[in-house]
Amino acid sequence: MKLNTALLHGVQNAFDPTGSTLPPVYQASAFAHESAEKLEKVFGNKAPGFAYTRISNPTVAAFEKRLAYIEGGADAVSCASGMAAIAMALLNILQSGDEVVSGSGLFGGTLDLLEDLKSFGIGTRFVRNVTAEEIEQSVTPRTKVIFAELIGNPRLDVVDIRQIAAVAEKYKIPLIIDSTSATPALVNPLAHGASIVVHSSSKYINGSGDAISGVIVDGGRFDWDFKKFPALAKYRPMGKLAYTARLRQDIWRNFGPCLAPQNAYLNCIGLETMGIRMERLCANALALAEFLSETGALDNVNYPGLEESPYKPLVESQMQNGMGGAILTVRAGSKEKAFALINGLKYAHIATNIGDVRTLVIHPASTIYAHSTGEQKQSAGVYDDLIRISIGLEDIEDLKEDFAQAIQKMKKGD
Amino acid sequence: MTITVAGNKKDYPGALTVQKLIELENVEMPLYVTVSLNDEFVPGGTFETTELHDGDSVEFLYFMGGGR
Repeated sequence: MKLNTALLHGVQNAFDPTGSTLPPVYQASAFAHESAEKLEKVFGNKAPGFAYTRISNPTVAAFEKRLAYIEGGADAVSCASGMAAIAMALLNILQSGDEVVSGSGLFGGTLDLLEDLKSFGIGTRFVRNVTAEEIEQSVTPRTKVIFAELIGNPRLDVVDIRQIAAVAEKYKIPLIIDSTSATPALVNPLAHGASIVVHSSSKYINGSGDAISGVIVDGGRFDWDFKKFPALAKYRPMGKLAYTARLRQDIWRNFGPCLAPQNAYLNCIGLETMGIRMERLCANALALAEFLSETGALDNVNYPGLEESPYKPLVESQMQNGMGGAILTVRAGSKEKAFALINGLKYAHIATNIGDVRTLVIHPASTIYAHSTGEQKQSAGVYDDLIRISIGLEDIEDLKEDFAQAIQKMKKGD
Repeated sequence: MTITVAGNKKDYPGALTVQKLIELENVEMPLYVTVSLNDEFVPGGTFETTELHDGDSVEFLYFMGGGR
């Protein structure tokens, strides 16, 4: 079954006897059972069933099953946001004294989270470039996780998953890949050796910018050393599924960042068209990047799918149909010019999001990275004149025309 | 052939797939089940094509749980 068919038919909708083609929204906090004995069994995981929506809900489960299927994972656990997913994915196995090795070209929220974890005794060693050599140099006996964004946002560096997975395998450390900007339409990181995948599913999976959510997908293939990861020792009988077992039974369940059923429903709708949308979005991103490069009006146009990008060969070899994602960045020359260009656009909304159906633009340095240090900004590829463009589904000729007129306006302001 | 299902050894005549075992064992809410075969998880889309062999061990796992 190929992607678009799998998105529609991979997981059957067996939730509703009416034949509803979409999972109904089970907007209920609790689920009643026929006897006290049955509810006791459900609580003890001795019988399947729903009890309480913080822990499981049929609509939420429908979304999770679809995500696990499409990523090739053993199970998926959804969260109230992408940030909650990253926090839960890390805290499920980390404890005080542990370290993360991470790429530095991260989303600003993730950088802030890793800073927050310092106060819990969890440190992070950042590498400038996510290469096997730099990652391996940063691994210490305290390292318990390697974390990287598959397509760095907004640096747009692309990680060679197999290379990094080989280092992770050598040191028996799980590799967590944030695949938000890539999506399962471009690549399944688990198939390339990642242990766990996280998504801010608010973005391309949802696709319409109408629901905040995140998801953790466990590959179910990592061989957990329970001395090295004592937090999972309680779940030793679950073997390679110990990670998901602890998430479900402890960390995620007790922190309580559950996904609302309505948002799970919206994600189920969005997921069905993800393949088609990503094709169009990536084609639009490449076409606009090529157009802006050709104009020569901007200092730098960065898009991994451009011929001149150092990541082009990796995009060709690792990503489905050589698609390079739906984000591009440009440098306008100064903050003032960047603001002028942003303000001159007709169709692009000025908003802090990616993965919407509409084109969105933002000046990351003054917004998402406002709390970051100069060094963090530089490592993340955030410059004072940088504009991030999250491409939308608009007709490409209209987008080209819009950017051309906004560039003219920006130049007139010189 | 003999398959260990949820810790209990059982004999089954003829060829068997994970999907067939789910049906024979009347596994509850099969859409939600995670199948472990010899301590390796079986991807959701492969139940019909994953064949079982004599001596295999299968677990049907649910990650659903209770509330407060």
